[in-house]
Amino acid sequence: MRFQRLLQLPLFFLFLFLLWRAAYPLPEWFEVDLFLRLDPLISLGSMAAARAFIPGVAWALIILGLALFLGRIFCGYMCPLGATIDFADWFRGKKGKGQNGFEEQGRYRHLKYLFLIGLAGSALVGISWIFLFSPLSLATRFFAFVVYPPALMVSNLFLEIFRPVFPHVGLGHLAFVHLNVPQYNTNFFVALFVLGILALGMVKPRFWCRNLCPAGAIIALLSLRPLFRRVVSERCTACGKCVRACPMGAISKDFKGTAQSECITCLRCREVCPEQAVSFQVTRKGPVMTKEVDLGRRSVLGAGAAGMAMAAVTMTNLHHLHGYESPRALRSSRLIRPPGALPEADFQARCVRCGECIKACLTNTLQPVWLEAGLSGLWTPKVTARLAGCEQGCAVCGQVCPTGAIRPLSLEEKIFAKIGTARIEKSRCIAWEQDKKCLICDEICPYNAIASQFAADHPVTVPVIDENKCNGCGYCEDKCPVIGESAIIVEPLGEVRLATGSYREKAKELGLVFHAKNGVEDHFILDGEREERAEERAGESGLPPGFVIGR
Amino acid sequence: MDRRDFLKKSAECAAYTAATLAVPGLWKSAGAAQKGPDLVIAEGHPGPATRAGVEALGGIGRFVKTGNKVVIKPNMSFPNPPEWATTTHPDVVRALADMCLQAGASSVLILDNPLRNAEISLERSGVRGACSDLPNTQVHGITNRRFFEEVKVPHAKALNTTKIMKQVLEADVLMAVPVAKSHSATGVSLSMKGMMGLVYDRRTFHLDMDLDAAVVDLCTVLKPNLTVIDCSRILSDGGPGGPGKVIPMNKIIVSTDFVAADAMAVETGTWYGRTFKGHQVKHIQMAHARGLGNMDVASLSVKEVRSS
Repeated sequence: MRFQRLLQLPLFFLFLFLLWRAAYPLPEWFEVDLFLRLDPLISLGSMAAARAFIPGVAWALIILGLALFLGRIFCGYMCPLGATIDFADWFRGKKGKGQNGFEEQGRYRHLKYLFLIGLAGSALVGISWIFLFSPLSLATRFFAFVVYPPALMVSNLFLEIFRPVFPHVGLGHLAFVHLNVPQYNTNFFVALFVLGILALGMVKPRFWCRNLCPAGAIIALLSLRPLFRRVVSERCTACGKCVRACPMGAISKDFKGTAQSECITCLRCREVCPEQAVSFQVTRKGPVMTKEVDLGRRSVLGAGAAGMAMAAVTMTNLHHLHGYESPRALRSSRLIRPPGALPEADFQARCVRCGECIKACLTNTLQPVWLEAGLSGLWTPKVTARLAGCEQGCAVCGQVCPTGAIRPLSLEEKIFAKIGTARIEKSRCIAWEQDKKCLICDEICPYNAIASQFAADHPVTVPVIDENKCNGCGYCEDKCPVIGESAIIVEPLGEVRLATGSYREKAKELGLVFHAKNGVEDHFILDGEREERAEERAGESGLPPGFVIGR
Repeated sequence: MDRRDFLKKSAECAAYTAATLAVPGLWKSAGAAQKGPDLVIAEGHPGPATRAGVEALGGIGRFVKTGNKVVIKPNMSFPNPPEWATTTHPDVVRALADMCLQAGASSVLILDNPLRNAEISLERSGVRGACSDLPNTQVHGITNRRFFEEVKVPHAKALNTTKIMKQVLEADVLMAVPVAKSHSATGVSLSMKGMMGLVYDRRTFHLDMDLDAAVVDLCTVLKPNLTVIDCSRILSDGGPGGPGKVIPMNKIIVSTDFVAADAMAVETGTWYGRTFKGHQVKHIQMAHARGLGNMDVASLSVKEVRSS
């Protein structure tokens, strides 16, 4: 196997492994979002948009430091999107047509720098578009939403086939395993984006990496003069094999020169050279390409202006959520953010739409939105309570967020991070409307915020919500047995979004203060209220629900 | 109980007491003849009390034979710690599973279809952890349709068919091991209500039929061979999910009659700040009327034991 693959494949599988392990319970001894933290575009882009130093993604500075010495090895060895593109190019078999010398590439090559400048312009105005271009955001989203669920279906198929065999080979515990296959909103569009990138390989190998990737552009700018360079010896017979083999088109048409900013150090030129004329070594010499990055003032200014204009137009769109005039004017009443999500403007600036939180979500309630949060909110996560509730004992979404768009909360803090409030649609509720003895919402509520009470003119007890106890978790909405839209729905009213400080303290301030009682850490029952409620529940028969008058 | 009944029972009691006093040794032989009491209340820590209770009922060997496949149905429906009393104490489940293995069970499956997320419920209830080192024992939260099989309920009042876990239908022995807790719809949730945890679709119980009648219908097809009710602490209100008032009781109720065990648990505890008789719980009353068991705890032979 080629040297590049010896490193690239294990790292790619590590990426997949970490993505797979981004799930409840999280492993304690490694960071599952490692690769996301290494992406220079995610790092610099989200820091620029958020106007803050974000320690979690500062790891990418290591990659930038490495670039000064080793060039674009991130692209050649670590980037999972690069590995996917390499695989697609290999699978397709045919190499791209036409000339492959560095000087013969036309001006597409500069697009990546222009995109980078455009993104910087947008970020300057306050909109982060990096999620459309960041290779780690693209790859994580693609493998999480598009590849992972079908892979689980295939695994289930194998489990099904071998199920009768398991007890006889000491794998009895597998006999009951049936993997829950998550479902994801917009997965088709996520697939189209990445498949489009892979299809560009038909024009040239690694078309995306050569011409479009702004993360690659950042690394390229730092690897113009690396320590470790390609050197061609006198033995070169000018056969041209290396130029044709180079996946980046980084070799000049005279075979000697190398565009260091384009070279990903994959070593293929060295491998294909019949004369062993090519070597990679630490050197300060070697012919230097002129005009490796040749942008021109007009295109730089144009790209920056276009990025800023994009941002301005987005911000003046009716559905933009953090306009300073009226912050929540047209917010969808079904847009519930995950617990610990920063205030909306900060949240959108930091969120890189990688989908890690959505993949990690224990109950699959987190979903990427399409246009529900405006164009600038594309693929941000939301709680889809009708599908599943947000589990009280799980806070993985914040733990896996690389940029802190969702704050990492302890379980204690998470309980107080109210994400919305449930509301009963009485006309849909079968207890209120049809006198059915249904109390599922009361039964399931982990916060004791729903009580079944006798009400005037109702023969059965009906559910009533105490909004001060409701966390907005949405279990009620999920479990409501009514078909179609739930009779109890969670809306953003009452959500608590804090950039800093304790949710527990904030809850106290808002009058959501709870006391421990009877040795049980009972956060959601107010002192003195229990007796009162027991009376309330008792109703006319003088008995709580489920009991009957004795003989 | 009307007056005539009362007189008859009193007379029987008196005669029995007299006979016992007059003929030493009769009590023992009578006990041996009926293989132990109807119901045992064992006091002590959850694990030891469970062992003592089953022992006093005639020993685990009475229920589990060599090679039997055992299914234990605890309540693992919520991801709350044992102190919340929303789930069966892990020590009770572990003690019982261990006893089954000692009696020669070929496999012990501890199954529930949790209301909340299965993964986290099994973990936080502590049941999976408590049983992880037992051989041939598996703890599963089963939610997928493929593991359930449609079953007809003969003579049903409400629930004509339902889907029940295949492994339960194939088991030799079924044990109901609920925690004693209040329930906002059925008053209490004990062994009978707990059988709903072996069913695929519970929505229809609430949506399409009388819940109490449906629970009793289900119990006509799912009769546990042994019922062990964890009253080490009870959830007196706020059930079934809690949080609510937890009262320590240090008791385990063991019986072959699940209606009797449920009735005894009702009468042993305090619910919503008051006491109740078994017949005051609608589904217990209905089960008794349909002959599923005896809710009349006064007529049972009850043995009280203490574990050391």
